[in-house]
This record gives sequence, structure tokens and C-alpha cells, in this order.
Amino acid sequence: MNAKIRDMIVTNFLAIAAGLILSGLMLLLLKINPIPVFKEALTTIITDKYTLGDVFLKATPLIFTALSFAFAFKANLFNIGAQGQFYMGSIVAIAVSLQLQGKVPTIVLLMIVFALTMVAGGLIGAFIGFLKAHYNANEFLVSMMSTYVVLALMNYLLRTFLKESKGEYPQTDALTRDAWIPNLLDGTRLHVGFIVAILVAIGVWILLYKTPLGYRIRAVGSNASAAEMSGIPSKKIYIITFFISGALAGMAGFTEVNGVQHMLIQDFNSGIGSAGLGIAILANANPIGIIFASILFGALNVIGNLMGRMPGVNVPASIVDLMQGFVMIFVIVSYFFRSYLENRREKLKLQKKAVGE
Amino acid sequence: MIVSLLSRALMMSTPLLYGSIAEVIAERTGMMVTAIEGIFLMGAWGGFVGTYLTGSAFIGILMAMATGTMTAAIYGIVCIFLKQHQVVTGTAINILAAGFCTYFQRVLFGIPTSPLKIDPLSQIAIPVLSKIPVIGPIFFYQNSLTYLVYFIIPLSYFLLFRTSIGLIIRSTGENPEAVDVAGINVNGVRFVVVLLAGVMGGVAGAFYSVGYLGMFTTNMIGGRGWIAFAICFLGNWNPKGAVIGTVVFGFTEAIAIYMQSIGGGSYFPNELFIALPYILTIVLTVCRKNFNVPAKLGVAYSKEN
Repeated sequence: MNAKIRDMIVTNFLAIAAGLILSGLMLLLLKINPIPVFKEALTTIITDKYTLGDVFLKATPLIFTALSFAFAFKANLFNIGAQGQFYMGSIVAIAVSLQLQGKVPTIVLLMIVFALTMVAGGLIGAFIGFLKAHYNANEFLVSMMSTYVVLALMNYLLRTFLKESKGEYPQTDALTRDAWIPNLLDGTRLHVGFIVAILVAIGVWILLYKTPLGYRIRAVGSNASAAEMSGIPSKKIYIITFFISGALAGMAGFTEVNGVQHMLIQDFNSGIGSAGLGIAILANANPIGIIFASILFGALNVIGNLMGRMPGVNVPASIVDLMQGFVMIFVIVSYFFRSYLENRREKLKLQKKAVGE
Repeated sequence: MIVSLLSRALMMSTPLLYGSIAEVIAERTGMMVTAIEGIFLMGAWGGFVGTYLTGSAFIGILMAMATGTMTAAIYGIVCIFLKQHQVVTGTAINILAAGFCTYFQRVLFGIPTSPLKIDPLSQIAIPVLSKIPVIGPIFFYQNSLTYLVYFIIPLSYFLLFRTSIGLIIRSTGENPEAVDVAGINVNGVRFVVVLLAGVMGGVAGAFYSVGYLGMFTTNMIGGRGWIAFAICFLGNWNPKGAVIGTVVFGFTEAIAIYMQSIGGGSYFPNELFIALPYILTIVLTVCRKNFNVPAKLGVAYSKEN
């Protein structure tokens, strides 16, 4: 095995383990013995089909938001606003689905909604890219702020135009089964959106590494002025990259609204933007790696929820954030050790060469 | 009425002043403190816990400084000494901070039946000065944290532009090699300013919990750390610019609160006022030209390069 890949697997594994162990120690503070709790959660995941399905279910939107960050990152752009683009996708998904359900066949409805969520997220992204390209606005700040604006818009719509017909809570009506994404496995909540997410991840990999556009995006990412010199219009690339990045986050709105929640509520999946960023880091922005890292985060989520439901233990739900945060920090630290190991290897190689001559 | 609005605006500006001035000083050395949202939150939490447990707001604010500094220290170690990406590390720390506060709030207080309350800092009227018409009630009827920031503004400007320490700070962001050659530890300078940002960011966070609301919730910062971060950019990495930027933001926020209080919601949606500071940031980011970005902003320093 390639030494670099070996390092990556070993250091990532150690980082994840360290994060979990530290979170486990935190449980001791609540006088909960972490070992049986973790053990029971893991056994449930492995033996219970429904729970296992939930791992992949939770991974699905994370794949999209992680791809969203990673894609822009390849052009050396920061899209911190995946959460907002996801919300925009969700708003469009629920609004369009409520209008079309029962009027068109499910498959047509789903395809229309999917396309429109892409456009919705993509337009927010393209707007950020446009400001970056033409006004040299700091895309990091603009994308960060755009999330709060979209959030306010969503809360407004939930209170007014999209409010449920009962008029009680700030949430929408539930979708009828006509607008649901079909199930993938009986006895679970897992839906076809997971397959879509994997296909999209593979598609993003192909786009980035096997097409001229992907080459241009990466060229702008590694050196924008050099790319400009060789005739790649970096401004156009900024806008295109941000459009795709936003569209990826928007798709998560489709899978979450039509696949899981079947309605839109306040504070809907509020952490998937930042979790996506963490996953992209964990996977080193590699689209295929993102699939696996998302499944890991999905599993952390499910483990946390299982712990919270265990009778007589009372683990708070915030343990999920804690686990994710610790794992992310340790993964970032592990990058340091990985580059240290690589440097040392290179040095040894050079020394050997010098001795050989 | 206009007086109470302006007084409100100044009050809402206070934490942003602490945050953005800290950010200015740190970014002048090349360190974007992207963990600022997490530092604010940890400060808010630490301030609340300290005040609730001891009953003394002073100890609460010291505690906020400690939790803020702790958060900043983790950020500094990972970004400066382990040379990892500043944006990426900051995001991870912000997530961790949110989880940490919520979890430890639970560890310390369990699930309280009614929301835990502390007495927010009271407004102190400065003798004589507070009697001046208009200016008095606006500037001299505030809480102690606001008074403290009056001193920090000129002090930070003086420190940055009139002292040799300021020269070192600014040079570290522009030309770290030269600073290194002069025998000054570049990473040491950066670590110190990041810790300073932790202290000031912690106070800023405590302003929301201890100074104003008298309670703690996990979403109480709600992006205000990022606004302080934005103000630093928009203020062109200068304490003076940060003051102007903050006043604009504080004013927007005060107007938002005021409009909600007089029932402006019947004309405009409340959400519009909530979104206003964020929209304003985007607009200003677009309008602002001729930035004076520190040359090495966001770049880790190592001697070999």
C-alpha cells in the first residue's frame, strides 16, 4: 500500500478514536459509564435494520453540503453558506411540492423539484460568486452572511405564505405520499436520495478530475493569476464554481424535505452546513472520501440519538455536537502529523539517495 | 425617544467593539480569528456560569475572559504552531464551542424547570456628565463594560500606531521574515494577540449574557461574532474604522429592536429587521474598495519557507 494512503487511514482512524474517547470521558462527568453506553449503541446499529438505515439517511444531506464546500474549495473559494443554500433548496422543494402534489405523477414531480432545488441553491451561490468576481467581495463573509438572510426569509415564509392551513405553528402542511421520495429498503426510513447523493458525489469527482471545466476550476484554485495568463477566465470560473457549489447544497433541501421530513419546520436541520464543512475537511475535499466521512458523521448522529433514548441513562443530545467537534479538531491536528510523517519520509529518501551515490 | 434609541445603539455596539478591535489587532499580525463566534459563545457561557455560581458579575466576567482565552488558545495552537488552515480550524472550534456550552450547561445545571436567571449589569450614571442634555443619557448612562470600551478604543489605536509593540504587531502581518530576522518570535507574537482576542472576545460574549440579557442560551450569539469579524474587514483593519463600522451596526440593531417594540411588524416583517445587519454586511463588503489587507493574512509562518 502507498505510504501516503496508509498514513491517511491510520491518522484519521486515530483522530476519530481520540475524538470518541474524549467525548466518552465527558460522559463520566454526568456519572454515566461510557463503555456500556457506546457498546449498546453500536450493537443496535449493527443488529437493527431500521437504525442502520438511519445512519445512511443522516449521511445523505451531509454528502451534499460537504460536496458543496469541497467543490468551492477546489477553486480556492470558501463557501461557508451551504446552510443557507440548503434552506433555499428546502423552501423551493416544499413550495413546489405542495403545488404539484396530486397533479402530476410522482416521478415527474420529483424530477421537477430536484431540478428546481438545484437552481435555487445555485442562484444563491452564483450571486456570491458574482459579487466575488465583479466587486472583489470577500466570498467568505458574503456566504456566511447569506445564510442568516435566507434563514430570516425562511422564518418569514413559514409564518406567512407557507404556514400550515391549521394556522397554529410556523410550519408548512405535510406532503402527501405522492410527493415522497420512494423508500430504498423496506422497514427503514432510507430513501432513494441516498443513491442520488452517491451518484452526485461520483459525478462531482468526474467533473473535477476528468473534464476540461474541472481542470479549469482546479487551475484557478491553485493559481488564479497563472490560470488567467493561460486564458482561463477566472471571473467566469468563480461564478460557475459557486453556482455548482450552491446547487449541491440546494439538493440537500430536496432529499430532506421530500425524503425525510415531508414538511418544512423552523430550525430545520440547523447543523448540516457546518457539519458538511467538517466532513469535507475529514475527507480532504475528495468527493469519494466525502461519502465515507458523511456515513461516519451520520453514524455519530445516530449513536448520539440512541444514547439519548436509552432508558435510565439520559445522555443529552448535545453529545452529538461535542463528538463531531472533537473529531474535527483531532482530524485537523492529524493533518499536521501526516505532513510531518511525509516530510520525514522524503528526507530519509533523499538521505538514502545521497548515501547511495 | 431618539436619545433612548441612540443609547440603545451604543449599548448594542459595545460587544461588537470589543470583538472587532480584538480582531483588528490579531489580523494585523496575520491571524484571522475565525473562531471568534465560538469565543463569543464561550465568553457568554463562562460569564453566565461565573455570575450564576458566585453571584458576582465581576467574577463572571473574569470567568468569561478565561473561557474565551481557553478557546482562543486551542485555535492558536492548531493554527500557529501546527500550521493548519485558519478558516477550517475556526469552523471546527465554533462547532465544538456550541456543543461544549450546551453539554456543560447540562452537566452543571441539569434540566432546570424554569430558565436560569442572573441580574444583568445595571446602568451606572456618571455624576455630572450624565446630566449633560442628550450626550449625557447616551454616553454616560451605560453599564461598566461600555465605559471600559471607551478606554480600549484610544488605547488600541495608540498601541497599534504609536508604540514599538504596535510596530512589531503590524510588521508581523506584513513581513514576518523581517520580524524574525530582528530576533522576535513571530509565532509568539501571533499567539499572544490571539490570546488577547480571546480575552476581549470573552468579554464581548459576556456582554450578551451578563451585561444585557441576564441569561444564557446556545443561540444567543447568533452570528454576532461573524459580524465583528466583518467589521474588522470593513473598517480596513484599523480601530478607527472598526468604531465607525460598529456604530453603523449597533444603530441598525437598535432600530430593529425599536421597530419591533413599536409594532413595526405590521408594516414590515420582523424578519427583515433581524436580517438587516447581515444584509448591510453584504452591501458594505461589496461597496468597500481599496482594502489595506495585511499581506500575510491567513498564512502560517514557518522559518523554512
